[in-house]
Amino acid sequence: GSGGKEGKSWRRFQSYKGEAALPKEAENLRIYVDRKAQTVILPVHGFAVPFHINTIKNVSKNDEGDFTFLRINFQTPGQLAGKKEDTPFEDPDATFVRSVTYRSPEGHRFDTISKQITDLKKEVNKREQQKKEMAD
Amino acid sequence: MTTQFDRIFHGLSAESGKFRVAASGMAWKAEDTEGVTAVPSGDIKWAQWFRVARNFQLRVGLKDRRRETFDGFMREDHDKLAAILKQHFGITLEVKDVSFKGWNWGVTDIQGQELAFLVSNKTSFELPLNQVANSNIAGRTEVSLEFAPSGSANKKSRSGMDEMVEIRFHVPGTHTRIRGSDA
Repeated sequence: GSGGKEGKSWRRFQSYKGEAALPKEAENLRIYVDRKAQTVILPVHGFAVPFHINTIKNVSKNDEGDFTFLRINFQTPGQLAGKKEDTPFEDPDATFVRSVTYRSPEGHRFDTISKQITDLKKEVNKREQQKKEMAD
Repeated sequence: MTTQFDRIFHGLSAESGKFRVAASGMAWKAEDTEGVTAVPSGDIKWAQWFRVARNFQLRVGLKDRRRETFDGFMREDHDKLAAILKQHFGITLEVKDVSFKGWNWGVTDIQGQELAFLVSNKTSFELPLNQVANSNIAGRTEVSLEFAPSGSANKKSRSGMDEMVEIRFHVPGTHTRIRGSDA
Protein backbone atom coordinates (compact mmCIF):
# COMPACT_ATOMS: atom_id res chain seq x y z
CA GLY A 1 0.00 0.00 0.00
CA SER A 2 0.91 3.63 -0.07
CA GLY A 3 2.84 5.17 2.78
CA GLY A 4 4.32 1.86 3.88
CA LYS A 5 7.76 2.77 2.71
CA GLU A 6 7.91 6.20 4.29
CA GLY A 7 9.58 4.74 7.37
CA LYS A 8 8.14 6.08 10.58
CA SER A 9 10.65 7.99 12.60
CA TRP A 10 10.98 7.80 16.36
CA ARG A 11 9.06 10.55 18.12
CA ARG A 12 10.34 11.76 21.44
CA PHE A 13 8.24 11.23 24.56
CA GLN A 14 8.88 11.59 28.27
CA SER A 15 6.92 10.71 31.41
CA TYR A 16 8.18 13.33 33.89
CA LYS A 17 10.56 16.25 33.63
CA GLY A 18 12.02 15.63 37.08
CA GLU A 19 11.55 13.84 40.39
CA ALA A 20 9.23 16.52 41.77
CA ALA A 21 6.61 15.61 39.16
CA LEU A 22 6.28 12.05 40.45
CA PRO A 23 2.75 11.60 41.86
CA LYS A 24 2.27 11.00 45.57
CA GLU A 25 0.71 7.57 44.90
CA ALA A 26 4.16 6.21 43.96
CA GLU A 27 4.95 6.14 47.69
CA ASN A 28 2.68 3.13 48.24
CA LEU A 29 5.07 0.77 46.42
CA ARG A 30 2.15 -0.37 44.31
CA ILE A 31 1.61 -0.23 40.58
CA TYR A 32 -0.02 3.09 39.71
CA VAL A 33 -1.47 4.22 36.41
CA ASP A 34 -0.98 7.98 35.97
CA ARG A 35 -3.40 8.72 33.16
CA LYS A 36 -2.48 12.39 32.95
CA ALA A 37 1.19 11.61 32.34
CA GLN A 38 0.27 8.61 30.13
CA THR A 39 2.51 6.58 32.37
CA VAL A 40 2.52 3.42 34.45
CA ILE A 41 4.67 3.63 37.58
CA LEU A 42 6.14 0.33 38.72
CA PRO A 43 7.70 -0.27 42.13
CA VAL A 44 11.09 -1.95 41.62
CA HIS A 45 12.96 -2.72 44.85
CA GLY A 46 12.11 0.63 46.37
CA PHE A 47 12.43 2.69 43.20
CA ALA A 48 9.38 4.22 41.52
CA VAL A 49 10.00 3.47 37.87
CA PRO A 50 7.85 5.24 35.29
CA PHE A 51 7.14 3.60 31.95
CA HIS A 52 5.46 5.76 29.34
CA ILE A 53 2.47 4.07 27.71
CA ASN A 54 4.34 4.22 24.37
CA THR A 55 6.83 1.68 25.73
CA ILE A 56 4.09 -0.76 26.72
CA LYS A 57 2.88 -3.40 24.30
CA ASN A 58 0.20 -5.16 26.34
CA VAL A 59 -0.66 -6.70 29.71
CA SER A 60 -1.71 -10.18 30.71
CA LYS A 61 -3.06 -11.49 33.95
CA ASN A 62 -3.46 -14.95 35.42
CA ASP A 63 -4.51 -16.46 38.71
CA GLU A 64 -2.51 -19.18 40.42
CA GLY A 65 -3.70 -20.39 43.80
CA ASP A 66 -3.92 -17.48 46.26
CA PHE A 67 -2.12 -15.08 43.95
CA THR A 68 -2.70 -13.11 40.81
CA PHE A 69 0.15 -12.45 38.41
CA LEU A 70 0.26 -9.39 36.20
CA ARG A 71 2.70 -9.32 33.34
CA ILE A 72 3.49 -6.15 31.44
CA ASN A 73 5.09 -6.63 28.03
CA PHE A 74 7.10 -3.79 26.52
CA GLN A 75 7.92 -2.73 23.01
CA THR A 76 11.34 -4.05 22.04
CA PRO A 77 13.09 -4.62 18.74
CA GLY A 78 13.12 -8.08 17.21
CA GLN A 79 9.78 -9.35 18.49
CA LEU A 80 7.97 -11.85 16.36
CA ALA A 81 4.92 -9.70 16.03
CA GLY A 82 3.55 -11.55 13.02
CA LYS A 83 3.13 -8.17 11.37
CA LYS A 84 5.67 -6.03 9.62
CA GLU A 85 8.09 -4.51 12.05
CA ASP A 86 7.37 -0.80 11.79
CA THR A 87 7.80 0.38 15.35
CA PRO A 88 10.65 2.88 15.33
CA PHE A 89 13.20 2.90 18.16
CA GLU A 90 15.50 5.64 19.30
CA ASP A 91 18.32 3.17 19.92
CA PRO A 92 17.56 -0.37 18.70
CA ASP A 93 20.95 -1.61 19.96
CA ALA A 94 20.27 -0.63 23.58
CA THR A 95 19.26 -3.07 26.29
CA PHE A 96 15.47 -3.10 26.69
CA VAL A 97 13.20 -4.12 29.53
CA ARG A 98 11.04 -6.66 27.72
CA SER A 99 8.62 -7.67 30.46
CA VAL A 100 8.00 -7.49 34.17
CA THR A 101 5.75 -9.73 36.25
CA TYR A 102 4.15 -8.79 39.57
CA ARG A 103 2.42 -10.91 42.16
CA SER A 104 -0.43 -9.87 44.43
CA PRO A 105 -2.96 -11.56 46.71
CA GLU A 106 -5.48 -8.91 45.57
CA GLY A 107 -6.75 -10.22 42.25
CA HIS A 108 -9.43 -7.58 41.84
CA ARG A 109 -6.90 -4.77 42.10
CA PHE A 110 -4.75 -6.33 39.37
CA ASP A 111 -7.95 -6.64 37.30
CA THR A 112 -8.44 -2.90 37.62
CA ILE A 113 -4.81 -2.05 36.82
CA SER A 114 -4.84 -4.35 33.81
CA LYS A 115 -7.97 -2.62 32.50
CA GLN A 116 -6.57 0.87 33.19
CA ILE A 117 -3.40 0.11 31.22
CA THR A 118 -5.31 -1.44 28.33
CA ASP A 119 -7.72 1.51 28.22
CA LEU A 120 -4.88 4.05 28.30
CA LYS A 121 -3.13 2.21 25.49
CA LYS A 122 -6.34 2.23 23.42
CA GLU A 123 -6.91 5.90 24.12
CA VAL A 124 -3.40 6.87 23.04
CA ASN A 125 -3.57 4.70 19.92
CA LYS A 126 -6.90 6.25 18.97
CA ARG A 127 -5.54 9.76 19.38
CA GLU A 128 -2.50 8.81 17.31
CA GLN A 129 -4.78 7.48 14.57
CA GLN A 130 -6.86 10.66 14.55
CA LYS A 131 -3.72 12.77 14.28
CA LYS A 132 -2.59 10.71 11.31
CA GLU A 133 -5.95 11.14 9.59
CA MET A 134 -5.84 14.90 10.16
CA ALA A 135 -2.37 15.04 8.60
CA ASP A 136 -3.47 13.21 5.43
CA MET B 1 24.56 16.05 69.66
CA THR B 2 21.97 13.79 68.04
CA THR B 3 19.96 14.70 64.97
CA GLN B 4 16.67 12.90 64.45
CA PHE B 5 14.52 12.33 61.37
CA ASP B 6 11.00 10.93 61.73
CA ARG B 7 8.96 8.69 59.43
CA ILE B 8 11.95 6.92 57.93
CA PHE B 9 11.82 3.38 56.54
CA HIS B 10 14.60 0.83 56.81
CA GLY B 11 15.11 -1.00 53.51
CA LEU B 12 11.71 -2.05 52.20
CA SER B 13 10.10 -2.10 55.65
CA ALA B 14 6.40 -1.34 55.73
CA GLU B 15 6.82 0.22 59.14
CA SER B 16 8.37 3.63 59.58
CA GLY B 17 10.59 4.67 62.44
CA LYS B 18 13.02 7.21 63.81
CA PHE B 19 16.44 7.70 62.30
CA ARG B 20 19.15 9.22 64.48
CA VAL B 21 22.66 10.35 63.67
CA ALA B 22 25.35 11.22 66.20
CA ALA B 23 29.17 11.14 66.30
CA SER B 24 29.01 7.51 67.48
CA GLY B 25 27.08 6.36 64.43
CA MET B 26 23.54 6.09 63.11
CA ALA B 27 20.53 4.07 64.20
CA TRP B 28 17.00 3.36 63.04
CA LYS B 29 14.29 2.35 65.47
CA ALA B 30 10.90 1.05 64.38
CA GLU B 31 7.86 3.04 65.51
CA ASP B 32 5.84 0.17 66.97
CA THR B 33 7.92 -2.98 67.01
CA GLU B 34 11.27 -3.71 68.65
CA GLY B 35 13.28 -3.45 65.45
CA VAL B 36 16.57 -1.56 65.76
CA THR B 37 19.33 -1.20 63.20
CA ALA B 38 22.53 0.43 64.40
CA VAL B 39 25.56 1.36 62.36
CA PRO B 40 28.67 2.34 64.35
CA SER B 41 30.66 5.26 62.97
CA GLY B 42 33.74 3.11 62.31
CA ASP B 43 31.79 0.99 59.79
CA ILE B 44 30.58 3.90 57.66
CA LYS B 45 32.49 4.29 54.39
CA TRP B 46 30.30 6.26 52.02
CA ALA B 47 26.81 7.70 51.56
CA GLN B 48 24.57 8.26 48.56
CA TRP B 49 21.31 10.11 47.97
CA PHE B 50 18.65 8.75 45.57
CA ARG B 51 15.11 9.73 44.70
CA VAL B 52 13.09 6.56 45.29
CA ALA B 53 9.38 5.74 45.63
CA ARG B 54 9.17 6.85 49.28
CA ASN B 55 10.79 10.21 48.61
CA PHE B 56 14.56 10.19 49.16
CA GLN B 57 16.86 7.37 50.15
CA LEU B 58 20.03 7.56 52.18
CA ARG B 59 22.24 4.68 51.18
CA VAL B 60 25.15 3.95 53.48
CA GLY B 61 28.11 1.80 52.45
CA LEU B 62 29.71 -0.24 55.23
CA LYS B 63 33.23 -1.52 55.66
CA ASP B 64 32.47 -5.17 54.91
CA ARG B 65 30.86 -4.23 51.56
CA ARG B 66 27.42 -4.38 53.07
CA ARG B 67 25.05 -1.47 52.85
CA GLU B 68 21.95 -0.17 54.53
CA THR B 69 19.21 1.92 52.99
CA PHE B 70 16.85 4.35 54.68
CA ASP B 71 13.90 5.76 52.73
CA GLY B 72 11.48 8.57 53.48
CA PHE B 73 13.74 11.61 53.65
CA MET B 74 12.43 14.85 52.20
CA ARG B 75 14.14 16.91 49.52
CA GLU B 76 14.95 19.61 52.07
CA ASP B 77 16.63 17.10 54.42
CA HIS B 78 19.53 16.82 52.00
CA ASP B 79 21.60 19.78 53.14
CA LYS B 80 21.20 19.03 56.82
CA LEU B 81 22.06 15.36 56.32
CA ALA B 82 25.04 16.17 54.09
CA ALA B 83 26.39 18.53 56.75
CA ILE B 84 26.09 16.06 59.65
CA LEU B 85 27.57 13.15 57.66
CA LYS B 86 30.52 15.39 56.83
CA GLN B 87 30.84 16.60 60.39
CA HIS B 88 30.51 13.23 62.16
CA PHE B 89 32.05 10.78 59.69
CA GLY B 90 34.00 12.92 57.26
CA ILE B 91 32.08 11.57 54.24
CA THR B 92 30.41 13.35 51.37
CA LEU B 93 26.76 12.63 50.57
CA GLU B 94 26.93 11.80 46.87
CA VAL B 95 23.82 12.76 44.89
CA LYS B 96 22.87 10.08 42.33
CA ASP B 97 20.73 11.17 39.38
CA VAL B 98 17.58 9.17 38.77
CA SER B 99 15.74 9.05 35.43
CA PHE B 100 12.01 9.75 35.20
CA LYS B 101 11.83 9.73 31.42
CA GLY B 102 9.67 6.62 31.28
CA TRP B 103 11.85 4.83 28.73
CA ASN B 104 12.38 1.07 28.69
CA TRP B 105 15.75 1.16 26.95
CA GLY B 106 19.16 1.92 28.36
CA VAL B 107 22.30 0.25 29.63
CA THR B 108 22.78 -2.35 32.36
CA ASP B 109 25.71 -1.92 34.69
CA ILE B 110 26.88 -4.12 37.56
CA GLN B 111 27.55 -1.85 40.53
CA GLY B 112 28.72 -3.92 43.48
CA GLN B 113 25.89 -6.34 44.30
CA GLU B 114 23.37 -4.41 42.23
CA LEU B 115 22.41 -4.60 38.61
CA ALA B 116 21.66 -1.01 37.68
CA PHE B 117 19.54 -0.05 34.68
CA LEU B 118 20.58 3.36 33.42
CA VAL B 119 18.55 5.56 31.08
CA SER B 120 20.53 8.41 29.53
CA ASN B 121 23.27 7.82 32.11
CA LYS B 122 20.86 8.19 35.03
CA THR B 123 19.71 5.36 37.30
CA SER B 124 16.24 4.10 36.44
CA PHE B 125 16.23 1.23 38.95
CA GLU B 126 18.51 -1.30 40.59
CA LEU B 127 18.10 -5.01 41.18
CA PRO B 128 19.78 -6.73 44.14
CA LEU B 129 21.64 -9.65 42.54
CA ASN B 130 21.79 -11.54 45.84
CA GLN B 131 17.99 -11.85 45.72
CA VAL B 132 17.88 -13.41 42.27
CA ALA B 133 16.42 -16.88 42.72
CA ASN B 134 16.88 -17.99 39.14
CA SER B 135 18.08 -16.62 35.85
CA ASN B 136 17.60 -17.82 32.36
CA ILE B 137 18.82 -17.10 28.87
CA ALA B 138 15.93 -17.58 26.49
CA GLY B 139 17.00 -17.37 22.91
CA ARG B 140 19.94 -15.29 21.76
CA THR B 141 18.75 -11.96 23.01
CA GLU B 142 16.61 -12.52 26.09
CA VAL B 143 17.69 -12.76 29.72
CA SER B 144 15.25 -13.29 32.57
CA LEU B 145 15.79 -12.79 36.28
CA GLU B 146 13.42 -14.30 38.83
CA PHE B 147 13.07 -13.03 42.37
CA ALA B 148 11.83 -15.13 45.27
CA PRO B 149 8.73 -13.46 46.72
CA SER B 150 9.38 -12.49 50.31
CA GLY B 151 5.97 -12.68 51.90
CA SER B 152 4.69 -16.11 50.96
CA ALA B 153 3.88 -17.32 54.47
CA ASN B 154 2.08 -14.26 55.80
CA LYS B 155 1.16 -12.50 52.64
CA LYS B 156 -0.49 -9.50 54.25
CA SER B 157 2.59 -8.66 56.29
CA ARG B 158 3.98 -6.08 53.92
CA SER B 159 0.85 -3.96 53.68
CA GLY B 160 0.07 -5.02 50.16
CA MET B 161 3.17 -3.86 48.31
CA ASP B 162 3.31 -5.18 44.77
CA GLU B 163 6.19 -7.58 44.41
CA MET B 164 8.10 -7.95 41.18
CA VAL B 165 8.75 -11.65 40.68
CA GLU B 166 10.34 -11.61 37.23
CA ILE B 167 11.98 -9.22 34.79
CA ARG B 168 13.09 -9.96 31.23
CA PHE B 169 15.62 -7.99 29.27
CA HIS B 170 16.14 -7.84 25.56
CA VAL B 171 19.91 -7.80 25.13
CA PRO B 172 21.14 -7.36 21.58
CA GLY B 173 23.74 -10.10 21.34
CA THR B 174 25.76 -9.21 18.32
CA HIS B 175 26.27 -5.50 18.94
CA THR B 176 28.32 -5.46 22.10
CA ARG B 177 28.76 -1.87 23.04
CA ILE B 178 31.23 -0.65 25.57
CA ARG B 179 29.58 1.63 28.03
CA GLY B 180 30.73 5.20 27.67
CA SER B 181 32.17 4.80 24.19
CA ASP B 182 30.60 6.85 21.47
CA ALA B 183 32.28 4.92 18.71
